[in-house]
Amino acid sequence: MNWKLTASAIALCASFGSANAAGELNIYNWGNYTDPEMIKKFEAKFDIKVTITDYDSNDTALAKVRAGGHGFDMAIPSGNYLPIWINEGLALEARPDQMENFKNLKEEFINVPFDPGRKYSAPWMWGTFGTVVNTKYYKGDIDTWDIVFKTPDELKGKVNVVPEMNDMMYTAIAYHGGEMCTKDKELLKKVRDTLVASKPNWMSMEYGTIEPMSKGDMHATSDWNGSAFRQRLANPDIKYGFPREGTFVWQDTLVILKDAKNVENAKLFMNYAMEPEAAAATSAFTRYANAIKGSEAFMPADMKDAPELAVPKDYPMEKLGFSVACPPDVTEIYTAIWTELLK
Amino acid sequence: MATRTFSIKSMPGFTSIAMLCFALLYLPIFTLVVFAFNAGSSVAIWEGFSMRWFYKAFANEAIQEAALRTLIVASVAALLSTIFATMAAIATTRTAPYRGLTFKYAFINQPLMVPEIVTAVALLIVFSRIKIWSGYQGIGYILAAHTAFCIPFAYLPIRARLESMDLTLERAAADLYATPWQAFRRVTLPLLWPGILAGAMLAFVISLDDVVITEFVKSGGQETLPTYMLGQLRRTVTPEVNATSTVFLALSILIVTIFFFISRKRN
Repeated sequence: MNWKLTASAIALCASFGSANAAGELNIYNWGNYTDPEMIKKFEAKFDIKVTITDYDSNDTALAKVRAGGHGFDMAIPSGNYLPIWINEGLALEARPDQMENFKNLKEEFINVPFDPGRKYSAPWMWGTFGTVVNTKYYKGDIDTWDIVFKTPDELKGKVNVVPEMNDMMYTAIAYHGGEMCTKDKELLKKVRDTLVASKPNWMSMEYGTIEPMSKGDMHATSDWNGSAFRQRLANPDIKYGFPREGTFVWQDTLVILKDAKNVENAKLFMNYAMEPEAAAATSAFTRYANAIKGSEAFMPADMKDAPELAVPKDYPMEKLGFSVACPPDVTEIYTAIWTELLK
Repeated sequence: MATRTFSIKSMPGFTSIAMLCFALLYLPIFTLVVFAFNAGSSVAIWEGFSMRWFYKAFANEAIQEAALRTLIVASVAALLSTIFATMAAIATTRTAPYRGLTFKYAFINQPLMVPEIVTAVALLIVFSRIKIWSGYQGIGYILAAHTAFCIPFAYLPIRARLESMDLTLERAAADLYATPWQAFRRVTLPLLWPGILAGAMLAFVISLDDVVITEFVKSGGQETLPTYMLGQLRRTVTPEVNATSTVFLALSILIVTIFFFISRKRN
């Protein structure tokens, strides 16, 4: 009988473990994408010990969660990857739409194509893709993809294009009036011709734009808004354009994993992430916009009115799609065009 | 007349190619180190000298934890892999050559040939099964993986040392009535020691900078310095990353230097 008592005593001790907090929560997020202060406030409020672990790509995160045994409770995949997480049964139907703070969500982020009605995911950060121009070198219209595809003489040889296949393919498709993930051969031929014909006017295809744009080595680039925002802070001549031909919104999403051990704590965190103050803290740390009403009040001064972080009021919303993952057969065609461009 | 030997140094273009190789190798690292001391928050625009990124990196709890974990993992992996490698090296050299010995060499050194991503994916699949079955999420998986891939790195210098040691030494000890254990303890081991130290240092450095396997094997909260730095790169890069890299680089150089002096002194 005695050994049973000992065993249960040990089990009891083990269950309390080394953590002092009442609960635990394991979050798997992109590196440098979680504000430590926001986490500390959550820990203090709910007496839950939070552990953050980094990943560096959607693919790494997906591979590890798919394999199982990871021990994570929550992850933050990009919206265009979320359907894979849902379809493979990796994400829990946590019903954020029934949570208390869901009322804070901006309407345009409720019926998103990757999670209609928000049954699985709460929004994390979001952003747009557009043109960035140093207005010291070019005074003309910047709200157009002509900057990249019909480069004005002043910018020839000084334009960069970020080498992100899906984003640039969609940009070129929007330029020709097409839909995201289109299979229209006629249109894709035009897209291909435009890309190939405009390449000689580009100086480079690089991701690292902040430094060369700020220094004036590059005079224009296609880029994400967060990067454009940082460039302007470093160099006031820089402006971000919203191409009227069309562009898209990306959003990262907070989900609870189906094999999570601390589901209740994860739900608390999901609700907490939709609080204006918490969302503002994450925005201030990551320098991206959030999808929570009333968070503006808690935002740092330089972000409150940043033109890069909001979509202009007069922008035609039908021209602004959500970034989605295209089906494999479509991706194959896009890859072929992209490979030809890179040659 | 003196015979003229082939000299690669006198071939046309030798110096320029050599200089180009060195420049490609060292200029980027040099730039990285220089910008660790930048006063501004850019990694490309110089705004004056400052140590502030080093202070910031040292004060960063995530970096402290990751650095400590990296050192613990590297120490344990180096210790265990060196013990295994020493046993393997003695077993494969203190014996008359036999059929299958070459195969054993190749087998032990396999981790050198297998692409790291293959090992990483294989470990991810196997370990995640074990994690589900056992419920154990601890640091043991990283330790086991690091120990395994460090073995050949520890093994090579130890075997090289053993091969240069004459077998007759142990025989002489036996002739003088030393028991096999005494011969090992008093003759083989002292002579082998530089090889073992060199092997351990090499294993330590290899474990220290591993990123691919660790990224796939780590469980929650098990960030090492390399995986932490990889995560940082995705977002804005500040000279804090440069400062962390610089300290990391200094540590690696220090260890390799010790390794160099130990092997030079004994030879």
